Amino acid sequence: MNGQGTKTFVVTRFDPDRDEAPRTQEYEVPVREDWKVLDALNYIKDELDPTLSHRWSCRMAVCGSCGMQVNGEPKLTCKTALREYGDRVEVGPLANFPVVRDLVIEMEGFLERLKAVKPWIIQAKEAAVIEGTNRQTPEQLAEFKQYSMCINCMLCYAACPVVANEPDFLGPAALALGHRYNQDSRDDGDSERHEVFRGDGGVFACSFANECSEVCPKNVDPSKAIQQAKLLNVLDWARSFVVPRGGR
Amino acid sequence: MSLRARVDAMKGSAPPRTRTADPAPPRNFPFRGNYLPYVAFGSCGILLFAVGFGLLRLVWVLGDGDATRWKAIFESYRHPLYIVFHAFALVALTWFTFRFFRLFPKTQPPKLGPLPRPPDAVFLIGLGAAFTVSTLLVGLVLGGALP
Repeated sequence: MNGQGTKTFVVTRFDPDRDEAPRTQEYEVPVREDWKVLDALNYIKDELDPTLSHRWSCRMAVCGSCGMQVNGEPKLTCKTALREYGDRVEVGPLANFPVVRDLVIEMEGFLERLKAVKPWIIQAKEAAVIEGTNRQTPEQLAEFKQYSMCINCMLCYAACPVVANEPDFLGPAALALGHRYNQDSRDDGDSERHEVFRGDGGVFACSFANECSEVCPKNVDPSKAIQQAKLLNVLDWARSFVVPRGGR
Repeated sequence: MSLRARVDAMKGSAPPRTRTADPAPPRNFPFRGNYLPYVAFGSCGILLFAVGFGLLRLVWVLGDGDATRWKAIFESYRHPLYIVFHAFALVALTWFTFRFFRLFPKTQPPKLGPLPRPPDAVFLIGLGAAFTVSTLLVGLVLGGALP
């Protein structure tokens, strides 16, 4: 291995069978210049301490598995170059999530929130096969495309101050996903989702701190989606006095 | 310095399969990034409420037609505390307005019903013009140039 110096990794450890609370453990890792943070974690796991637990899969910022706090900031560790950091690098599990073990967080709550916004196409009337595929123009696609680039890495939840304060908050990724379907020209389920959006923990719980958009590794703008959803939600609410539910 | 996150942050509806550690808060929560400016922005609502209440009170007294009370109110405006409040409100609400106008284009979806959203430049120029004209009008009225 080409040695490019040694860095000290301060890694959060938590064993649910032994530890009362998370603690930290230090590792000296000989790093290469082109390494990402994930490479160093894999080195620790393979060469220094096989008991370390962390999630990862694709190594190319697509799967969204390897989100962790690196020096206090939520980062995809496969996309975060080690050369951006000094001799001491702190790695911890994503903030705002219960910790299952070491760097692995409990994501059941996140999956439930995703499901709550009905992230699928809802059609008022099933189209007959003879009518052909449901086509979209590039302009119609452009209205929601950026929101469909989310990889569910949960960094936005780790950065969000409202998630830390409001346990019922659906959170940035889920609300942006719901908005993505509301903006989809093939979808007729916006009224159903607006009901969810204006409930407890919906879009109006968002304080527009914008931290979610700052940390997104895929340049999705969840805070923009949520603010737009607020406006559309109010319009949907006002429209419900004029047009009965189901009417369009 | 960090405050604690809620222990039930991002919890699922069913208990997890193993014991879990409590969530950690984001670093420097809640003093990091854009959080405090937003809190200040939201708090300006209280200021708007107070200023609105003052204006309503003024209109109420004007409607009564009692000149003595009207004069007494204007006399109270010379109190140092009121002048401090007025200066603070002026600075805070100007900041609030600028921030609101800066954020506003981002909050507009590409389409509202059948109407497409105008380009950002048109949006910002329109909002800027509305702000300038309304400020000028208020200035002219308060300055006595307009009845």
